[in-house]
Amino acid sequence: MPDLGRAALVTALALLVYALVAGGYAAWRGRRRLALSAQNALLGAFGAAVVASVVLLAALARHDFSFQYVADHTSRELPLGYTLTAFWGGQEGSLLLWLLILTGYSAAAVALNRHAGRDVVAWVVPVLGLVGTFFAVVLVFVSSPFATQQAAADGAGLNPSLQNPYMAIHPPMLYLGYVGLTIPFAFAMGALLSRRTDERWIVATRRWTLAAWTFLGVGQLLGAHWAYVEIGWGGYYAWDPVENAALMPWLAATAFLHSVMIQEKRGMLKVWNMVLVGLAFCLSLFGTFLTRSGVIQSIHSFSVSSIGGWFLGFICLIVAGTTVLILSRLPLLRARTRLESLVSREATFLYNNLLLVALTLTILWGVVFPLLSEAVRGETSTVSKPYYNFFLHSFGLPLLLLMGIGPLVAWRRASLRALGKTFLWPLGASMVAGVALLAAGAGSSRVGVIAYTFSVFVLASIALEFLRGTRARKALGTESWPGALSSLVARNRRRYGGYIVHASVVFLAIGVAGSSAYQTVREQRLAPGETMTVAGKTLLFRGFETMRKPNHEAIRAVVDVYRGGDRLARLRPGKNDYFAEEQISNEVAIRRDYLGGDLFLIADQVNANGTVDLKALEKPLVNLIWFAGFVFLAGSLIAMWPDAREERRLAERYAGAVARA
Amino acid sequence: VPSKRSPARLVVALSIAAALAVFLLYTSIAGGTTPSLKPSQLAGHQGTVSVAGRVVAPIGGDAHVNGLRFGLRDVEGAGRVRVVFRGSVPDLFRKGRDVVATGRLENGVFVASELSTKCPSKYAPKRDA
Repeated sequence: MPDLGRAALVTALALLVYALVAGGYAAWRGRRRLALSAQNALLGAFGAAVVASVVLLAALARHDFSFQYVADHTSRELPLGYTLTAFWGGQEGSLLLWLLILTGYSAAAVALNRHAGRDVVAWVVPVLGLVGTFFAVVLVFVSSPFATQQAAADGAGLNPSLQNPYMAIHPPMLYLGYVGLTIPFAFAMGALLSRRTDERWIVATRRWTLAAWTFLGVGQLLGAHWAYVEIGWGGYYAWDPVENAALMPWLAATAFLHSVMIQEKRGMLKVWNMVLVGLAFCLSLFGTFLTRSGVIQSIHSFSVSSIGGWFLGFICLIVAGTTVLILSRLPLLRARTRLESLVSREATFLYNNLLLVALTLTILWGVVFPLLSEAVRGETSTVSKPYYNFFLHSFGLPLLLLMGIGPLVAWRRASLRALGKTFLWPLGASMVAGVALLAAGAGSSRVGVIAYTFSVFVLASIALEFLRGTRARKALGTESWPGALSSLVARNRRRYGGYIVHASVVFLAIGVAGSSAYQTVREQRLAPGETMTVAGKTLLFRGFETMRKPNHEAIRAVVDVYRGGDRLARLRPGKNDYFAEEQISNEVAIRRDYLGGDLFLIADQVNANGTVDLKALEKPLVNLIWFAGFVFLAGSLIAMWPDAREERRLAERYAGAVARA
Repeated sequence: VPSKRSPARLVVALSIAAALAVFLLYTSIAGGTTPSLKPSQLAGHQGTVSVAGRVVAPIGGDAHVNGLRFGLRDVEGAGRVRVVFRGSVPDLFRKGRDVVATGRLENGVFVASELSTKCPSKYAPKRDA
């Protein structure tokens, strides 16, 4: 069996090298049949990656401990679900997942994309081949999931914090996002290499970028939720380098998604878009590198491994190659039009881009700071939460505000008087909200009040947009209000899907501000029968319960929650002691209150004398963060949904472009 | 003519970005950073630092009363320091594990306000390390 896996990986490598070399030659000399065979090699590489993945899954399912990977990441007691998800529980499996997704995406993207034009696609194939070759080389020569050993009696087990349902969905989501950014990158490079630098590559990859960006966003929110319910320190994001590693490409891709609209509509920012797509892709590679190399201390850095150097080398290659390519094609990337006014839709997009990129680079600076300070001063220094929070506030809050302004500003140039009229209602609503919040005592956090005031402004301006559009449609015909609304969205999916995504970001901001700026924390040691209070609730500790489970022992502190005389809930925070893994994990208990805030209990320390050190957090509005995830997904899906009318329009436009060329 | 003026505006925008970058550099070099040290490098350091090391015996005390007391030594090397920590002890804390403590040296004892463990290298095979 391991031989089959190894053979499949070698086959994948050979096919990807073929796609790179033959595809490159075919594109260079214009050999159509050779180009087609290179495309087929990509398809074949996907097949080989599927075979390799099936072999690994089968080995996991059969507890075949002659596979080092299986022995290192699973044990006999581990439930089947987690045994299978151990596929991406370790480095080698994760890399295999990268290769599988990459070849799958590549095959689909090349097969499905007709708009981009044949000569662009001919160059896309070798670029995808190059990226695939890198991962295949690492899998075959450096970090193979099919390394064998003397079969052990039992495996080492899976890290307890990975034994969670989120394990099944969070890592694959992130990988789908990380890897997905390869596609727009490859098409951008294809456009440069083939000198077809019009907007076709953007149109062809719009949905791919959106999909990758959505996966990355949803993946991160799932990770945040995982951290919230499982890791048990009361938060969901800690500015850890590996968390930042996923945030950075998402921010860069957000900037890219916005700036390509400018290129599509007005033919500007062509160089900028190339830089952004390169940045997003390099950051996604860097993210994988950070997670895997152990070069920076992180709660996720599992150990120093052998693949760091390979990744760094490949990232340098991509950065250098992209830079040279953009520089050599600069004359082709000249803008069709120019920015006419600083008060225009284009300008707000530009500000949005500058802020997003500034935020991305700030985070990147914070992440690599330990390495830089060690190189420069010989002493490792780290930046911590205050640094990130400072820049999140200084770039994030203006971004939030822009989200309310941008969509309402006219293209090309807008008059200030027209703007005043447009913004009358949102501005009024946010002023009222700000005053009301201050009166309600929210002034304890200045950032919180600013964030909420801006949020109301943005929500009001989005609502106004929907209202105006619906009213205009209603005036056109005999549709009912809901009918007018749905046909409005259906006719402008990108625009209104975008607004819904904006609304989700506002919900996220409200949830984050509420649960961080206005949270309450209490800690106390309790003997059975004793109580403590937090945010108007009384917690009564009744004593411990212990349970024996197949692979762990569970101890729980039984806590009753009262408000006034009413018992609201019985909560059981505690700890699990895993036998095979010799690890203890914290199991928090949460009382959900979807409108108010969660009551979050941690049994911080279980004492031998029967007392418990209980930590209680009241986190207002935290559930809006998870709600934002659903809204985000809905908005993205609306923006992505296939649109026959749009397809027709594009087909006409590019038929024209080809005829002119 | 607007088309002639606008590149200048772009430059303005870009220079704002550049100014921000400089500002950034300034803030990170000048303050807000925490040096990461080994126990053997700790002597003579004033102010808040973080120390990464391996937990050694004796381990005693109560983190929620007078503080958890333990020794920390260089992961590779001989330097050590006594640590006292009050707060939430991470689940993975135990003798022989690698931890990061953040705090300051007071009278020869490192008074930590934050304590975090690094995952034992279960995630990647041990033989790699």
